[in-house]
Amino acid sequence: MTEALQFFLISWLDLKLLGLVALGTFAGIYVGAIPGLSVTMAVSILISFTFAWDVYPALCLMVGIYMGGVYGGSRTAILLNIPGAPSAIATALDGYPLAQKGQAGEAIGLSTVMSFVGGFIGIGVLAVAAPFVSEFALTFQPRDYMLLAILGILLVGSLSGESLLKGVFAGALGLLIGAVGLDPLTAEERFTFGMVELWGGISFIAVMIGLFGVSEALTQLHHIDKAAVKQTIGRIVPSWRAVGKYLPLSLQTSSIGVIIGALPGTGGDIAALMAYDHAKRVTKKPEVPFGEGAAEGLVAPETANNAAVGGAFIPMLTLGIPGDAVTAIIIGAMFIHGLNPGPMLMIEQPQMFWFITGALVLANIFMLIFGLTGIRLFTKIVEMPRAVLIPLILLLSIVGAYAVNNSITDVYWMLLFGAFGYLLKTYGYQVGPVILGVILSRLIDENWRRAIISEQEDLGRLFMGVLTSPLSLVLFGAVVFIFISQTPLWTGLRARFGTARARGDGV
Amino acid sequence: MHDPSKKMPGETAFAVVLVGLSGFLLWQAILISGFEALSSPGAFPMAAAFAMLVTSVAILIKTLRLRERMALRFFTDVAPPVILAMFAMMLGYALLLKPLGFLPTSLLFLTLSIFALRRRGLLWSFGVSLASLALVYVIFRLVFTVLMPSGLVPEGEILAWLGNLFSGGDTQ
Amino acid sequence: MKTLFTGALAALAFTAVPALAEYPEKEIQGIIQWGAGGSTDTVMRAVTPHAEEVLGGKVVMQNMTGGVGAIAVKFASAQDADGYTLLMGAENPLLYKVMGLGDIDYSSFVPVNVIARGVPILVANNDAPFDTLEEMVTYIQENPNEVKFGSTGPGGLPSVVTAMLQSEIELPVTAVPYDGDGPALTALQGGAIDVMPAVLGASIEAIKAGRIKPLALIDTQANEALPDVPPITEAYPAFETYLPWGPFFGVFVKEGTPDDVVAKLSEAYAAGVENADFQQLMDDRGFQVMNISGDEAQEFLDKWQSVTSWLVYDAGIAKASPEEFDIPRPE
Repeated sequence: MTEALQFFLISWLDLKLLGLVALGTFAGIYVGAIPGLSVTMAVSILISFTFAWDVYPALCLMVGIYMGGVYGGSRTAILLNIPGAPSAIATALDGYPLAQKGQAGEAIGLSTVMSFVGGFIGIGVLAVAAPFVSEFALTFQPRDYMLLAILGILLVGSLSGESLLKGVFAGALGLLIGAVGLDPLTAEERFTFGMVELWGGISFIAVMIGLFGVSEALTQLHHIDKAAVKQTIGRIVPSWRAVGKYLPLSLQTSSIGVIIGALPGTGGDIAALMAYDHAKRVTKKPEVPFGEGAAEGLVAPETANNAAVGGAFIPMLTLGIPGDAVTAIIIGAMFIHGLNPGPMLMIEQPQMFWFITGALVLANIFMLIFGLTGIRLFTKIVEMPRAVLIPLILLLSIVGAYAVNNSITDVYWMLLFGAFGYLLKTYGYQVGPVILGVILSRLIDENWRRAIISEQEDLGRLFMGVLTSPLSLVLFGAVVFIFISQTPLWTGLRARFGTARARGDGV
Repeated sequence: MHDPSKKMPGETAFAVVLVGLSGFLLWQAILISGFEALSSPGAFPMAAAFAMLVTSVAILIKTLRLRERMALRFFTDVAPPVILAMFAMMLGYALLLKPLGFLPTSLLFLTLSIFALRRRGLLWSFGVSLASLALVYVIFRLVFTVLMPSGLVPEGEILAWLGNLFSGGDTQ
Repeated sequence: MKTLFTGALAALAFTAVPALAEYPEKEIQGIIQWGAGGSTDTVMRAVTPHAEEVLGGKVVMQNMTGGVGAIAVKFASAQDADGYTLLMGAENPLLYKVMGLGDIDYSSFVPVNVIARGVPILVANNDAPFDTLEEMVTYIQENPNEVKFGSTGPGGLPSVVTAMLQSEIELPVTAVPYDGDGPALTALQGGAIDVMPAVLGASIEAIKAGRIKPLALIDTQANEALPDVPPITEAYPAFETYLPWGPFFGVFVKEGTPDDVVAKLSEAYAAGVENADFQQLMDDRGFQVMNISGDEAQEFLDKWQSVTSWLVYDAGIAKASPEEFDIPRPE
């Protein structure tokens, strides 16, 4: 125990390591905030950069960037309605309306504190229950991933806005966009029209930047001469009472974040969206309706995506299995530094586990500090004249779309989806379901096929498999419950029975 | 700004386009592998495209039923000149990026669009553009080593030359 | 117009500043064919900094993923043959032609260095009802199509190994595709699949920890990293004709690159591979260092392509015959 504590505190006691975590976290916030710059990219560049370093300082920097980056995405989501990273998509839904009301400062303050809470819970689970959680994550079979993804796609119901029909259309479109390119399982061409540029599919980030960033910038052009929204900076740090009020919700959404983060193949983006949906379902009476600036709509995704960071480290540190793209690269970095991340790491080098846990806690604290300072300066961005801000957003969108895969084709896609997103919004479709579809597309497609191939193309066998596994059964039950509770059938039934009961007699 | 009880200008046309798009994609999805197996690469795209087709037809029917129109016009309220012009600028940017290179194209784009939107003097627009472009260049090209198309400006050579200057010319 | 412009400009620049004339005079772009964190990525990012020291220039590495690596290959082949674009790839492009993934493969490139080769190994879930290769074969023949083999799609290493096995043994299995050996090995531990033909390096840690069990090495001799695992030829000598076989990593430049540039790059990467830290890393991961270039590398590539193309073609998973591309059948 004392030994664990000693390893835990390595990064706290060494000034250089402490400084590197701080630097990493600070840089991460900005990397996360700029669309097109991703934590994945930053960490892989750091591998070459920290090549000659010892392993401790290199990891400090990476851990900091990771933590800061996941949080940083919320900045631009709130201020400009452009999620800086996929995990901040859900944050934009209620964060941006707050900024439009002049409450950007409060929104950032709340999301910072909640990110801290979520991050802390994630690390806590990592420290206390890592072996248990990773064994649990391994029990997920293809059919369970499929059910989980279907559960995810049912979120369309809460993201559709005015028309469920339009939401379903947008979601299906997203699923289809995600399927473009060489099929990852058979290398069959899908919707490529013979163009090699399409083999790699349509970059998800390019779609996201187009649908959110460009379409928003185009919408803003309508009000080019209107003065920018004046931001009133009142209370930045939320009161203890407010934090206490959201604590039960944040515990639930953090659990969602940890589990989804720990599952190999799913990460903070899905976690945040699922948490948002969960919040919408359990919050009976929000002070402000969801989609118009509900605080719960900020609390849920921000706790979940930072909790997913700790979650992603769980299979990585216990089994050498990456929980997401960033931990995959950190594993590569550890190899290069002469470590062998795998199931033996915990036994042969237990100090690594506690060292990383310690650095994560430290990064989480720095995230809180840096997040709460400089808010005033950040909100000034929104007060910039639109005539300067909009061209800059557009330039950043182009550069960001290009930077993801160094591809000009991605820029064209980004522009296309920018124009398309603008039209969608104009005619009352939401862009959220499209992105949701793109995120979940491969998860559903691949796992459906794996599941059915494993059962030799026999639907009956697949169904039996679902019914005989407790995990699948729970997930299946959740899918059925949410599906029924969101369809008109249920509301119709409830309305009939509800009114019947209220009146005390038949109709 | 969208009111579901009234029709926007162009809304019917948009709904028709979406039906067409869905139909086309469904056809393409069927071409991938037909109906050979539940696990075929085309199965999932077919399901998604089918859902698109069904919903888009339902949306079209709903839109056609809307009687009341909004008092708006397509080219002033949905796609006013400023939006079309801005989008054309972006398209131009994307087309010129490869041949001209990142630096000149971006500078041109920023200066022109800020000037057109702000109408506050060409020099001012140029100054603001230059400053913001410098920042973007430092972050993306120098820190994150994203190799933007260099085009007319031999950036790589200039950077290497600068690097040599600073390292005192001690190349092996 | 573009080339004319830049050409004139470059000519101007070069005549004006002759001190810059020696390669490399600017950053070199390294295109990594696979995603960040994968084996190819790790190997390339580990060896390149050592090579840079000898080269005296900087190599900026970027991951360009998609289309089983075909996008990166196409991109690299579209650049100028000036040695400023390196393709850092794995074995897959040699199968593109027969798999119907375009007509560009390593024949449009010059090998700078074929760095290392991986050894395939057959691993199984701990609960699988067999402990050796022979037991597995018997079990599969008694329960056709019930055993689930992990795969990474047609043309990937598991599919080639499975084809190799099936060319000599009757082996009716169900192949469940994953998008990489990492996810497949995870699924193996969770019991979603029963057997996985994987690279030794990717599975070694899990084997050492006893989380999965090794059945046989797909090689002619035992490996130092796992001395107790028998090579497949012990039970089935017939496989000797195919072996040694395995995935590899290499650095390539476009064909037509000036000889002195290729020579300089080859020298740099050869020295980089020799580096003790890198050798240690390769040992730990169970890779066989090859460090070959020039004609020797070309010969290796040709042989690999010939053996594998015909193997996948005979197994019926290829889309075109190797004959169409003048790939000779191995003797």
